[in-house]
Amino acid sequence: MIEIIQISRGGSGGVTGAKILAEAAMYEGLDAQAIPKYGSERRGAAVEAYVRFNNAPIRIHSPVYDPNHAMILDISLLDRIDISKVDLDGVIIVNSKEVPEELKGTGRKVAYVDATGISQELGLVLSGFTLVNMTMLGAFVKGTELISFENLEKAIRNYWGEKRAPKNVEAAKRAYEETKVVRA
Amino acid sequence: MVVKQETKSMTGNDACSYAALFAKPDVIAAYPITPQTTIVENLSRFVDEGKLEAEFVIVESEHSALAACMGAAWSGVRTFTATSSQGLLYMAENVFWTGYGRLPIIMPVVNRCLAPGWNIWPDYQDSMAFRDAGWIQMYTKNNQEVFDTTLQAFKITESKDIALPSMPCLDGFVISHTTGQVDLPDPEDAFEFVGPYDDPVIALDVENPWAYGSMTGPAQYSKNRRDLIVAMERAKKKIVDVHKEFEEYFGRSYGNGLVEPYGDDEADLTLVTLGTIGDEAHEAIDRLKAEGHSVNALRVRTFRPFPIEDIVEFAKKNHKLVVIDRAASFGHEGPLRIEVEAVLKRHNVDTSVSGKIMGLGGEDVPYSAIIDLAKKELKE
Repeated sequence: MIEIIQISRGGSGGVTGAKILAEAAMYEGLDAQAIPKYGSERRGAAVEAYVRFNNAPIRIHSPVYDPNHAMILDISLLDRIDISKVDLDGVIIVNSKEVPEELKGTGRKVAYVDATGISQELGLVLSGFTLVNMTMLGAFVKGTELISFENLEKAIRNYWGEKRAPKNVEAAKRAYEETKVVRA
Repeated sequence: MVVKQETKSMTGNDACSYAALFAKPDVIAAYPITPQTTIVENLSRFVDEGKLEAEFVIVESEHSALAACMGAAWSGVRTFTATSSQGLLYMAENVFWTGYGRLPIIMPVVNRCLAPGWNIWPDYQDSMAFRDAGWIQMYTKNNQEVFDTTLQAFKITESKDIALPSMPCLDGFVISHTTGQVDLPDPEDAFEFVGPYDDPVIALDVENPWAYGSMTGPAQYSKNRRDLIVAMERAKKKIVDVHKEFEEYFGRSYGNGLVEPYGDDEADLTLVTLGTIGDEAHEAIDRLKAEGHSVNALRVRTFRPFPIEDIVEFAKKNHKLVVIDRAASFGHEGPLRIEVEAVLKRHNVDTSVSGKIMGLGGEDVPYSAIIDLAKKELKE
């Protein structure tokens, strides 16, 4: 079982991203689950989502407490994730131009990409919020190598439909190519 | 032969709306504001896109939503709505009207706890409040079972010899908003299973006029209620039969449709559950067994009618039942525990019963908490 925790700001598409990631894992032949943690979350507030992949049916319905991997869609939320809970062999995927100061010297596997920059260049902005969800999925696929880019692309295309898919696929593809994976 | 199906990724609400779409209801009525869910939102889109030919009636309240459904059901057409928590409470008067009037309406309930304490997470306090409203209640453990149960509900409810409304229940958020995998059949195969509603339980007929809901004296009234009692009893067999037929079509089953046992026939400890906690309990049992503990489970899938015989038979072979309730009967115990205990006493089964109320207002019930509970009970 692979468990992922994702943190984002309401409005940046994190919940949708988790859903699409679960679908991509399904195309990989895995059972997959995406759980949004709703509450009083609103635009700009921290929103968590959890994703599970498994090669057998998933019977767990709880949130993820001890993730294998963590995705941080907004770097200012890095301190909201307890990195010590993340599996030592796991990847911390961050929306950042460089390895965040907090992670330097930790020996953690970090996958980083300027998702905000890529999304803005592609015009993925809605009501003032930069949509980094698809971009960060590209980084996730690169960083973890759990899912093929083809299956991610298939899930993105299926969700967004013919008209809106190209930009979203482009965002994921650019992040997939530009993500750097290092030991921090 | 099992029909072709395609695995899709979708939320529990989506799964529910697909079952409704495939069953082709003629009338759907809903109040489109919170706590209404994406179940009817999806259906309104299906109607708008021309995928579903149904009369979609937007009303001014949940009370009116069910009232509109009642009118539709009386006229003899396939009728669907869905609701949740406070919305279900607001419907209260008509929930009883529908049940006592034997109106074949399908109304999934997304189980969410009740105010005060505004909270959108799951527990069963909402549907448990309607235990005695004359509705069939089935609790589901995952997105797939939501689809399967909703589809089965049409066939059970609309049988002339049953004529009881159905409330498929799905845990709020834990199922309703969680994305999971669902094997979807072709719409035509799903519809073939459900069948057209061309021999209605009740129908408006100007050549043969009837009056409903008029003054009814004690003799007729008590006869009507006794008929309901008997119909509920008959519904047990119908649920089993429809579940079996479903398995032949789609290749999936949940115990016998009334209860789903898990693990060995006999164990030191038996966990009795409803809904997603049942799924989580299966995970707990596999881990407990790996540590050498003897634990099995019985998930009560159908809560009304209550599967008395199945519970008695399972309990007879076992030693100690622990019932996990996700609701409370304040001043007593959890509703499932009360009923399990009563049934065993009445049938002279001396298997001990204890219970724990867990997961109120969405309090997480991870398999680790179930393991802790089981270990504590095994020691006592």
